[in-house]
Amino acid sequence: MRRGLDAFDEEELVRRTARGDRRAFDEFYRRTSPWLAVRLRRRCADDDVVADVLQETYLAVWRAAGGFAGSAVAGSAVGWLWTIAANRLVDAFRRRARHARLPQAALVEPAMPAAEDEVLAGRVGQELERALLELPPELRQVLRAMVLDGLTVRETSLLLSVPEGTVKSRARRARIALREALS
Amino acid sequence: MTTHPELAVIARYAGGDGLDDATVWSVEVHLETCADCRARLAGSAEASTRVLLQRVADGLERGIAAGPAPARRARRWSAPHRRWLVWALLPWLTMTVAVLACAAALESLWPSLPSLVLLLAPVAPLPGVAVAWSRRSDPAWELIAGTPASGVVMLLRRTAGVLAVVVPVLALAGAGAGVSLALALAPCLAFAAGSIALGAFVGVRRAAVGLAGLWLFAVVAPSLMAVHLPVVLRPGSAGGWVLLTVALAGVAATRAGNFRRLSSRN
Repeated sequence: MRRGLDAFDEEELVRRTARGDRRAFDEFYRRTSPWLAVRLRRRCADDDVVADVLQETYLAVWRAAGGFAGSAVAGSAVGWLWTIAANRLVDAFRRRARHARLPQAALVEPAMPAAEDEVLAGRVGQELERALLELPPELRQVLRAMVLDGLTVRETSLLLSVPEGTVKSRARRARIALREALS
Repeated sequence: MTTHPELAVIARYAGGDGLDDATVWSVEVHLETCADCRARLAGSAEASTRVLLQRVADGLERGIAAGPAPARRARRWSAPHRRWLVWALLPWLTMTVAVLACAAALESLWPSLPSLVLLLAPVAPLPGVAVAWSRRSDPAWELIAGTPASGVVMLLRRTAGVLAVVVPVLALAGAGAGVSLALALAPCLAFAAGSIALGAFVGVRRAAVGLAGLWLFAVVAPSLMAVHLPVVLRPGSAGGWVLLTVALAGVAATRAGNFRRLSSRN
């Protein structure tokens, strides 16, 4: 029967989860959770928070799978999963914002490009990549939250613990820098 | 689809070290769309990630056992009908209709009494209006209060729903009792508008209860004891009621902003 589940993509697994199929849900967890865990750990250095966010996210998937299966637009189940997880992560930061600062995962400073990176370099485009790496770390954090993770200005400000105005001005500075790199 | 990153890059991404941001970003964008590379990432996950995932899996097992099963897909028609009607209104509307029917029956049995239908007409819509916009009656009030179409629009829609039931019943009861239609309906509309206008200041439920109490004690009780209709319900006062309705609706319109959210007094 495992062989049967192997044939399905993630979207089909979510649809089956919506009908209460526990094995489809377990398969979905097995396939996506390592990816989600790694991605979350790159955004929050506290493993307890990451574990909470993961658990809340997959419980939401289990209970609300019908919401995805029922939506008219055929979206990507993995994108849907990330949207839930990103919102839960922002919630976790919001909950604890008053008590303690959660440790942000440290941004890695640009190192000497390794051999593997040279292969990737052709993809992003040399100028753009260089411009990205030359951006100050706080600008890159804002770009990552807004461009890669799809968060709003308000959610970004909660995640990074900076005021909304600062997020906006950093996003503007990052946009200008990238535009200049492309021109 | 972009080209697949090398296994070594994925392993370093999983380990959380060593890659610059541009590489990390392109890996993340790629992983979101590529199931094969997600499987390779799972293969090279660190021991600490596996421990974390096992912990989460145990927690999920407990959470799923304790919580509800997956929710069924939301039905398509459920959103529109909630804008106009909540099921909590039904008992109140039933009661209103029953009271009006009793009033009409009493009137035909004892013609010597002042017209009960006329006396009760102004307060007939008030129970329904009080329930239309209330924390106590609508289990989804938190959701509703947070939606863009809530507030005064929702209140007016539901009031319209209440009136759509009460007005025909009132017209029927009035016609059966042989009273003037204008005198039965104009005060009814004036009191509905009044409870919304007053509700902007003290909450719709309180306003409806207050107005109904005032009417019953100040007008209905004395006129039942004196056995004649009060001045305000004599023929010729209908025009005054219409003017009052328009004025109160105007007040309610200027105070629409007060209905943005359901405060505790609602």
